[in-house]
Amino acid sequence: MTDGDACSLCDALARARSGDAAAFTTLVRRHQRAVYSLALRMLSDRGKAEDLAQEVFIRLHRKLALVQSETHLLFWLRQVTSRLAIDRLRREPRYEQVPLPEDLPLAAESSSGDPLLQQQLRALIAQLPAAARAVVLLRYQEDLDPSEIAQVLEMPVNTVKSHLKRSLERLREQLTGEAAVPAPRTDDAPL
Amino acid sequence: MRASLSRLLLMLVLSLAGSAAARAADARLMLPEFHTLEAKASESVSVTLDSSLLAMAARFLDSNKPEDAAARQIIAGLTGIYVRSFTFDSDFAYPKEDVASVRKQLSAPGWQQLVQVRSRKDHNDVDVYVRVEGDKTNGLAIIASEPREFTIVNIVGAIDLQKLHELQGHFGIPQLKLDDKK
Amino acid sequence: MSDDLEKQLREALRHVDPPPGFAARVSARTQSEQRHRWLAARHRWVPATLAASVLLSLLVAYGWQLRHEREQGLAARQQLIEALRLTGEKLDLAYRGVQDASKPTVPPDTGDT
Repeated sequence: MTDGDACSLCDALARARSGDAAAFTTLVRRHQRAVYSLALRMLSDRGKAEDLAQEVFIRLHRKLALVQSETHLLFWLRQVTSRLAIDRLRREPRYEQVPLPEDLPLAAESSSGDPLLQQQLRALIAQLPAAARAVVLLRYQEDLDPSEIAQVLEMPVNTVKSHLKRSLERLREQLTGEAAVPAPRTDDAPL
Repeated sequence: MRASLSRLLLMLVLSLAGSAAARAADARLMLPEFHTLEAKASESVSVTLDSSLLAMAARFLDSNKPEDAAARQIIAGLTGIYVRSFTFDSDFAYPKEDVASVRKQLSAPGWQQLVQVRSRKDHNDVDVYVRVEGDKTNGLAIIASEPREFTIVNIVGAIDLQKLHELQGHFGIPQLKLDDKK
Repeated sequence: MSDDLEKQLREALRHVDPPPGFAARVSARTQSEQRHRWLAARHRWVPATLAASVLLSLLVAYGWQLRHEREQGLAARQQLIEALRLTGEKLDLAYRGVQDASKPTVPPDTGDT
């Protein structure tokens, strides 16, 4: 993000706080990918992910006066998204993936690496317990370090590190023991 | 043993308190309604100030005013002030029977006549009574019978007669000069 | 392996777009909610107004009571002053009577000299 972008975002935040609806929409557009992606990979369901992501922004709209800066905004969005997702996962029984129509365009950016492996990783992450899942997503999707994750999830840093360590070990075991893991479904939409 | 002693002490305290109340009540005269007098009078004053009203009145006394300051000093220790006063357009328009019932109460034990004035010249009769307990005065009664005015004053409580005397010069009461001759 | 795994994880977890029109749907919901909040705030005036009326009534009643007590107190003071005036007047009458009685009587001048 350039300095100019940063300034325009700060301006949008200030204007949104003063009730400018267009400025708020600018904020939504700026952060919708991060919020939606986090919700989607926590809940493994597009419909529920969109519903949760909308809920996050509705809450942001109500609490806008409390947001002091862009940094605070990012922190707030990640925290609320993670919390709401963990709450929903804990309330609902084990979440099942909804098969998606094949003609749905893939929204992911172009990436290097093995797409099948990435798809597999996403599927394995979806099987992690809620808290561990959130830790992994915040680490590798949002690029937060353990202390930042600890603040977002209001969790001790050592607990975060423990989740990370155990989750990576589990992923590695499941990947190396590939023969025992069922092959991913072809209609499995990128998560 | 201790319980019965405590009970005895309590009964003694209660009886003393009761006696004090009774004694104070004795200092208060039963004043008739004086309906007849009121009907005949051109002017009438009726004052009934018990301890709560005296306390209320005291809150509104301005110590910066001499008469209020004098009043505040007098009412300290008082539990009641009762006054009935009637003014008539003609001489002795009030029946003496009404006065008699009050005088009768003043013949009860404890009351002492301090002053009795019968003025043939002015036809003013004034009786001043005090009620004394030990060396303390706990009641004052004044019956003033003038040709066109009849007044009864009853003050209950610890009365300072000296301060009452010092009312002269306040409240429009002319100062009594000892060498006043007429 | 670890670095590779972490790199693969980062690649696998890149951000994806929400369904089209997401921002517009959020905007519509926030505006709808704002309208509801405004209506609710208007209705919130009812209990607030009620509370304000009750408070005002209490203040008025308290003020009336204070005024009433002041009137009572001033009336009691007036009665006290009047009572003490009458007491002093009658005591003065008594003292004058006593003084008059204590004066020696002077026989009238018969002029027999």
